Amino acid sequence: MQKKTRANPELRRSVTPWGSFSWGYSDVGADIFVGLGLVLAAAAGASNVAFLFAGVVYVCIGLAYTELAATYPVAGGGQYFVMRGLGDIFGFIAGWAVLLDFTIDVTLFAWTSVDYSSQLLPSLTNSVHPWVHFVAVFALVAGLCLLNVIGVRESTAFNGVVSALDVLSESLILCLGFLFAFKPALLIHAMQFNWPSPYQLMLGTSLAIISFVGLESISQAAQETQRPASVIPRTSVSLILTILIFALAYSNLALGLQPWHPITDASGHHLAFWQIFTNNSDNQGKAVALLAAQVPYYGALAALYVPVLGAILLLISSNSGVFGSSRIAYAMSSSNLLPALFQGVHRRFRTPAVSIIFFSSIAVIELIFAAIPGLFPAAASFYSRFFRGENGLDFLADLYAFGAATSYSFVFLGLIGLRLTDPLSPRKFKIPLNVGMRFRGERVEFPIVAVIGFIGIFSILLFTLRTHVLGRIFGPSWLLLGLLFYLAYRRYRRLPVLQSVQRDWRNDQTEILRRSGELELMDEYLANLKASDRRRATEGSGV
Amino acid sequence: MITFGSAHVSIAGILAALVIAGGVGSTLYWMLHPPQSYVQQIAKKAESELAQMVGSLIVAFSPEIDSSHMVALAVKLARGEKSELLALYVIEVPYTLPPDAAMPAEERIALDALGAAETIAGKNNVAIRTETIKARSTKQAVLDVAKREKANLIMLGSFREGKYSGAPLSRIIEEISADAKCDVLIGVEGKHGTLLLTEESLQSAAQTA
Repeated sequence: MQKKTRANPELRRSVTPWGSFSWGYSDVGADIFVGLGLVLAAAAGASNVAFLFAGVVYVCIGLAYTELAATYPVAGGGQYFVMRGLGDIFGFIAGWAVLLDFTIDVTLFAWTSVDYSSQLLPSLTNSVHPWVHFVAVFALVAGLCLLNVIGVRESTAFNGVVSALDVLSESLILCLGFLFAFKPALLIHAMQFNWPSPYQLMLGTSLAIISFVGLESISQAAQETQRPASVIPRTSVSLILTILIFALAYSNLALGLQPWHPITDASGHHLAFWQIFTNNSDNQGKAVALLAAQVPYYGALAALYVPVLGAILLLISSNSGVFGSSRIAYAMSSSNLLPALFQGVHRRFRTPAVSIIFFSSIAVIELIFAAIPGLFPAAASFYSRFFRGENGLDFLADLYAFGAATSYSFVFLGLIGLRLTDPLSPRKFKIPLNVGMRFRGERVEFPIVAVIGFIGIFSILLFTLRTHVLGRIFGPSWLLLGLLFYLAYRRYRRLPVLQSVQRDWRNDQTEILRRSGELELMDEYLANLKASDRRRATEGSGV
Repeated sequence: MITFGSAHVSIAGILAALVIAGGVGSTLYWMLHPPQSYVQQIAKKAESELAQMVGSLIVAFSPEIDSSHMVALAVKLARGEKSELLALYVIEVPYTLPPDAAMPAEERIALDALGAAETIAGKNNVAIRTETIKARSTKQAVLDVAKREKANLIMLGSFREGKYSGAPLSRIIEEISADAKCDVLIGVEGKHGTLLLTEESLQSAAQTA
C-alpha cells in the first residue's frame, strides 16, 4: 500500500492585526489589574510618577521589541534576538530570565484571578481563608497545565473577544471615572502630602514595570501573524500606547478619585481611595475592580462584571505563561541552549508535554513559597524576620519584576548588537533617534533610544535588587542555577561553552522572510547582501 | 467643578476623558488599517474582477452537454459571490418536428437534471432558477438566454464517452465558446477523473429530487 508522506507543517499565518494585538493585550493588559494596587501601596502619592517613569522605559522596550519582531518574525522572541545579537550564552540568560517571568506569570495571574473572583465570592479571600485561596490557585495552575498538555488552548478568537470587551470596559471605567469622580484637588493633595520616601518610590517604580510586562507575546506570535513586518509595528505601537494611556490614567484617577461611597478606617476616619491598598494585600490583588465600583452610578454595574472580566483576563494571561514557557523552552532547545528533552512532544496529544509539566511544576513551587506564610503562622514569623514580612503577592511581584528587568536589559543590548552586526536586514520599523557610523566596513545606525532604554531598565533592575528582599535572593539564584545547568549541558554535548555555535544567519534570514510572506523585504535583503559582497570584493582586490 | 448628586464634574476630568477615548479609539483605528502590500493589492483586484465575472451564472444542459458535475461548482461560486444562478436545459427539436412538439422522454431527463441542480442549490442555501426551453439550435438558445439574462459566465460540462478517444468537447460546446459574448467555463473530466462529483453522489441527488 502506498504510504502518504507529508512535508513538515509550518505554523499557519492566520493571526490578523486584531489577533496580534489581542495576543499581546491578553498578556500585558492583565498586568494593570495586578500592578495598580501594588504600586499604590508602595508609592502612595507618587504612584503616577512611578508609572510615568516605568512607562517611559516601557515605551523604549516596546519600540525595541517592535523593531526586532518586525525584522525577525520568529517564534523565539527575546531570547532569539539576544542570541543572534550577542551570542548563545547571553541568549540563554535572556531566555532563562523570560522563563522565570513566564512561570511567575502562571502563578501570579492565577493568584490575582482568584483575588478578583473573591470580590464576588468572599470565601476565596486570601487573608480570611488562606487554604481555600491556595487550593483554588493550585487548581487553576494544575488545570491550565492539564489543558495545555491535552492540547486545549484558548483560541485567538476567544482572546480577541475578551480583549475587545476589556478595552471597552477599561475605557468606560476611566472615561466615566474622570468625568464623574475625578477631583484634581485630591490628586494635588495626595502628591503634596503623601510623597513617598526615595526607598518607597524605588519600590513603587520597580513594581510599576510589572504593569508593562508581556510584549514578548506579540513577538512570539510573529511567526503566525499575517505580513508581520507590516502588521507587528502597528499592533505593538497600539499596544504600547493603549497600555500606557490606561496605566497613567488609572494611577492619576486613583489618586484623585472622589469615592462614590465614603471609605472609612476602623476608627471611622475618612480615607482617600488609594489608602485602602496600604498594607492590605487582599485589596491590592483586586484594585481595578475596587476602583470601578467607586465610579458614580456606573460602579453599580461595574462592581458585578469587572471582577468577572478581570478574573477571565488574568486567567488567560496565566495560561499564556504556561504555553509561553513551553514555546520558549522549545525554541531554546532547538538552538541548543537547552536539552532536546524540552522538544519532547506527547505521543498522543502532540503537545510539548515535558516543557509544560516541568515549568508548571516550577510555578507550583513558586506558589508554595508565596503561600506558606499565610498557611502556616510559624513560617510567617520566619519571613518577617528574614524577608521583611514579604509574602504572597510581594514575593511573586518581586520575581516578576526581576525577570522582566533582566530580560529587557538584554533585549536592549541584543538590539544594539544586531544593529551593528546585521545592518543588512531590512528594517520596516526602526526606533527613532539613530546615529550613523561605520562598523566593520558597513554603514550602521546606532540606536540612542536603546541606550536610554537600557539605562532606564537597568536602573529598575537595580531598584528591584535594592528594594525587593526576596527578589534579590531568588532572582539571581535562578539565573545562577540556570547558568550552571547551561554550562554542564554544553560541555556534555561538546558544544562551545562560552562561544556560540556557528550558524548561517544569511540563509536563516532569507528563509524567515520567505516564510513570513514578506517577499519584497526578502528581495531587498538579497539585494543588500549582493551589494555588500560586491563592495567587499572590490575593496579586497584594491580596485 | 460642578457637583450633582454623587458625581463631580471638572474641566480636567472632561479633558482627561476625551484624551482617553480619543487616544484609544484613534490608536486602534490606525492599527486596524495597515497599508496593503503589493501581493494584497493584486489579490484584491483579482477578487473584485471575480465578483464582476460571476455576477450572473448560467449552467447549461442539453443531451450533448452534461453539466451535472458543474452545478456543485456553480453553486459554490454563487454562494460565495452572491451571484444569480440559472440552470438551463435546452431540448433540441429536430426540423422534422414542429417547434413545440411534445418530447416526453427528453423532458423527463430535463426534469431530472434540473431537479438535481435544485437539490444541490437547496442544500447550500443558494437561490436557483430553472428553465427548460425547446429550440432548433442549442447553441443559439444558450446564447439568447445568456443575452437576455446579461450573464457574466456560462458554465458547461462535458463527459468522456466510453470509447471516445478524441477531443472531449462536443461541437455545440465549441460553438458556444466561440460566439459567447461573456466568459465560458468548461469542465472536462480527465480520463480517470471524477470532476467535482462522483457518479454515486449524482445518482443520490437525482433520487432525492
